[in-house]
Amino acid sequence: MSQEKIRVTEEIDAAKPSRGFWSDAWQRYRRRPIGMLALGFVLFLTIVALFAPAIAGTKPVICSYKGDLYFPCLGYFNRSWESPIFTKDKFRGTYPKNLKQKDPESWAVWPLVFQDPYRRVRENEWPGRRENPSRDEGHPNRLNLFGTDQYGVDIFAKMVHGTTIALLVGFVSMGLAGSIGVLVGALGGYFGGWVDMITSRLTEIVMCIPTLVLILALIAVVEKPTIWKTMAIIGATGWTGIARLTRAEFLRLRQTEFVMAARATGAGSLRIMFRHILPNALAPVLVPITFGIASAILIEGSLSFLGFGPPPPTASWGSVLNSARSNLQLWWLVVFPGVGIFLTVLAYNLVGEGLQEATDPRLREAKK
Amino acid sequence: MQEVVGCESTVSRGNIFLVIYCCLLLCFVCVGCGGSKSVQQTPPSELTASAEARKEPLPVTEPRPLDPFDVPKLSDLDKEASWIDRTVRDGLVLLRDSQSKEKELGPVESALAISNNSPESNDLILSALGRLPADGEADYSARIDRHVGGDLGSTNPIMISTSAEFDILGLTGFGLFSFGRDLEPFATSETVRTWQTSTDRMLDKVVLRDDLVWSDGQPITAHDIAFTFKVIMDPRVPVPAVRSGTDQLRWVEAYDDQTLVFFHKEALATNVWNINFPVLPKHIYEKTWEDDPTLKDSAEHVQLEQSPVCGGPYEIVERKRGQQIVLRRRKNWSSVQGKQVRERPYFEEVRFRIIEDPNTTLLALKKGEIHEMILQPEQWTTQTVGRDFYERNTKATAPEWVSFHFGWNIETIFFRDRRVRRAMSYAFDHDEMLEELCYSLYDPCAGIFYPGAWMASTKKLDPYKQDLDKAEALLDEAGWIDRDNDGVRDKEIDGRIVPFEFSIIVNQQPLRIAICTLLKENLDQIGIRLNVRPVESTVLQDLTLNRKFQAYLGGWGSGTDPDTSENLWKTGAMRNFCNYSNPEVDRLYAEGRQEFDRSKRAEKYGRIQEILYDDQPYTWLYWRNSFYGFSKDVRGYVFSPRGPYHYSPGFGSLWKPQQE
Repeated sequence: MSQEKIRVTEEIDAAKPSRGFWSDAWQRYRRRPIGMLALGFVLFLTIVALFAPAIAGTKPVICSYKGDLYFPCLGYFNRSWESPIFTKDKFRGTYPKNLKQKDPESWAVWPLVFQDPYRRVRENEWPGRRENPSRDEGHPNRLNLFGTDQYGVDIFAKMVHGTTIALLVGFVSMGLAGSIGVLVGALGGYFGGWVDMITSRLTEIVMCIPTLVLILALIAVVEKPTIWKTMAIIGATGWTGIARLTRAEFLRLRQTEFVMAARATGAGSLRIMFRHILPNALAPVLVPITFGIASAILIEGSLSFLGFGPPPPTASWGSVLNSARSNLQLWWLVVFPGVGIFLTVLAYNLVGEGLQEATDPRLREAKK
Repeated sequence: MQEVVGCESTVSRGNIFLVIYCCLLLCFVCVGCGGSKSVQQTPPSELTASAEARKEPLPVTEPRPLDPFDVPKLSDLDKEASWIDRTVRDGLVLLRDSQSKEKELGPVESALAISNNSPESNDLILSALGRLPADGEADYSARIDRHVGGDLGSTNPIMISTSAEFDILGLTGFGLFSFGRDLEPFATSETVRTWQTSTDRMLDKVVLRDDLVWSDGQPITAHDIAFTFKVIMDPRVPVPAVRSGTDQLRWVEAYDDQTLVFFHKEALATNVWNINFPVLPKHIYEKTWEDDPTLKDSAEHVQLEQSPVCGGPYEIVERKRGQQIVLRRRKNWSSVQGKQVRERPYFEEVRFRIIEDPNTTLLALKKGEIHEMILQPEQWTTQTVGRDFYERNTKATAPEWVSFHFGWNIETIFFRDRRVRRAMSYAFDHDEMLEELCYSLYDPCAGIFYPGAWMASTKKLDPYKQDLDKAEALLDEAGWIDRDNDGVRDKEIDGRIVPFEFSIIVNQQPLRIAICTLLKENLDQIGIRLNVRPVESTVLQDLTLNRKFQAYLGGWGSGTDPDTSENLWKTGAMRNFCNYSNPEVDRLYAEGRQEFDRSKRAEKYGRIQEILYDDQPYTWLYWRNSFYGFSKDVRGYVFSPRGPYHYSPGFGSLWKPQQE
């Protein structure tokens, strides 16, 4: 009995397919400490972004008020997620005092750091706590870990909440760019002929559009410029490199035997393109996407630095840098966001490089 | 003469992308007439709205060609009219007289040794360093390097529009009239022999001096002025600013080389400002202007643009676009045929350095590359307190009649109701703005006229203070209540529930944006959503002129006469951005213009101020005072309600002592 069992397991082991391309790449990637460190940093930023309101804020993470449970800190993500009960009745969004005053039974779990990314914390807002220093007196201190800007807004809170923007800009714009790029490249590469002619020319035309100028124009024209529109533009203009790579891959792969086999079995064009060719073409495309994320973060940073970023008072790293321009003696306005942007961009570039080496067979060979 | 000051220049500007309009922004408020002691023009309505309208002409009322005018003979005029003599003065003499009556607060050495950190030290600096030179004290071969925030749009005096142009053309342009530190108008004795007004106030007769020449040696005559009037009034000529006011004149006639008569359309208290416009050399432009009415496209005009023929005490000798403009004192201004006929200006050379970024400008001042500049509040408080600044420089401040406000567009559903506008004023945290954002450097503002000025209301109009309870009560009363329980106040209008969510447009300047962000925070507390929308200054200008906004943050410089604010408040007026309309205000402006007794006029304007205070079409924020840094070598700066330069003598009183 038991012997038979062992044999069966052996058979299963033998039948286990060899490691797939992606798990192979992952194995290889894992061996690169710097790459892993960078990936870890990106994950860390993601966590910070997701939990920003619980890390720094002036609204309770969770509170019980007049018998109900509320999560006022969600108001930092979307203003309408904060219960209207906290704007009525002269509550006016100032929690520490009003919660106790209006409902002695209430309790609340507060964010780790009581600071607001959008406004100055005033005297006694938190009982017994001093106000945020303003002007040039906001050196980093116990209550303001990264100092405050000229108007008394805490930089740590701004940095934490700015992480959301930094990451969103990267993911959303490159998600968009990736989709457009892959689609356009796939069409051109697979069909060739006049389709390729049109998509290639389109790519070339879009390549000539200067992203920054387009964004500046948009800001002047659009009634309510938001960070989403900026991301859309970065995405809508940043897909050209991806399209060209995808096209090259498709040109190569459509000649291969497995594609011919698929065609012979009667698979439609769409199925061949996206079910058969795309998974095999994805590896080289992922690399520019990762680098694209890094450059999108830089574009957003420079836009905010120029004052064309998300509308105030949205916290973003670039806008903190911008506020340093008027007085460079306030070093903390330069160092913290500067280091933040530098590390993030570096991390994405390292991830991209790791991905490239893990997936490119030629580089793999060279390494050996 | 009312200017929008959108630009409280700031703090951070100046980078490659902003360059295009930075130059506009920085030019700063100071409207005005630049300042040699002789040539002063009242700045015609200048829109600095957060940037000066540089290229585009202001859409003033459609210009119409002049109707032909049957010019009466001078002898007939003299027979019919009885003339009253008006004041002809020298601004510099006026200043010297008034200074001789002031008490000296201390010696120059102690003023140079102290830091300006208290009102007393500021008074001492102004008193000791603001004095005019004694005989032999001034260095007449000195050069001063001045700062301007943006390049000139044009060197043609009638194209004047921005404060940079007023700064420079004030020194090179020719003019007959000016006004002193008290904003009292007079004819300047450097160019005018006599000035008379008819008793019915329909005529002004001026006799020019006969020792005036253009920089090319041709005599300046009354014909130049009559000619310029025709050019300004020609609808084909794209005159951006100086046509308003001038268009109140019926005709200008030169009876001989020296005698000039201005014919008015109506007897108005403001006529004395309307006769003050810049002057072109007729012998140059009469040949060219008909062929090219733009005055800048033809080859001749391009050449003139580069090296214009000047009638003022200085001439332009070098112009490097975007870098610097060099003016040199004209020999044939002060002496004609070897005989000195006028006082020489104190500086032999005035060099205007064009620097857009305020931080770069401050560095240049600290290094001694420029000798004066306007300081930002942040610079005044934190960057000009150390030895690095006081080694070469000192600084001074004085009140200036420039105020900032939130403007509420009354045609929008939100601000139609006066109670809502007052609720806005009560909601805003004025103290936080004044103390934290403005470094306690600016005074609170409660209305259109500077407190204590002759036209200001004598009633005590207290600046608004934050009172959220009152604000909420007013909003409730006006029907803005959160009915759908989403945390935002709303109101049913035409069967539709409208949430109280609006945008405010503001210049791309950190301080302004911070003020709007503070308003956003305050309104958020009482259930109103505000979107702060920083826009480029030209966009701001365009949106406000076309009334395409819900609220904006902006500012106005003060004109020399209260009547200049009519175009902000009269129903349908050009710069009545908020669409304010009140028949009583319209009537009071019309009456104020026709009233010649100053105390009676003051009553009318005071009443206007009170009505506006009650209606709150603006939430007035603060008066922005003047803050200047000066090199320790420079003396003689005296501040007026329009800053240290834009009156007579203005810049003309600055001098440098002889080096030992």
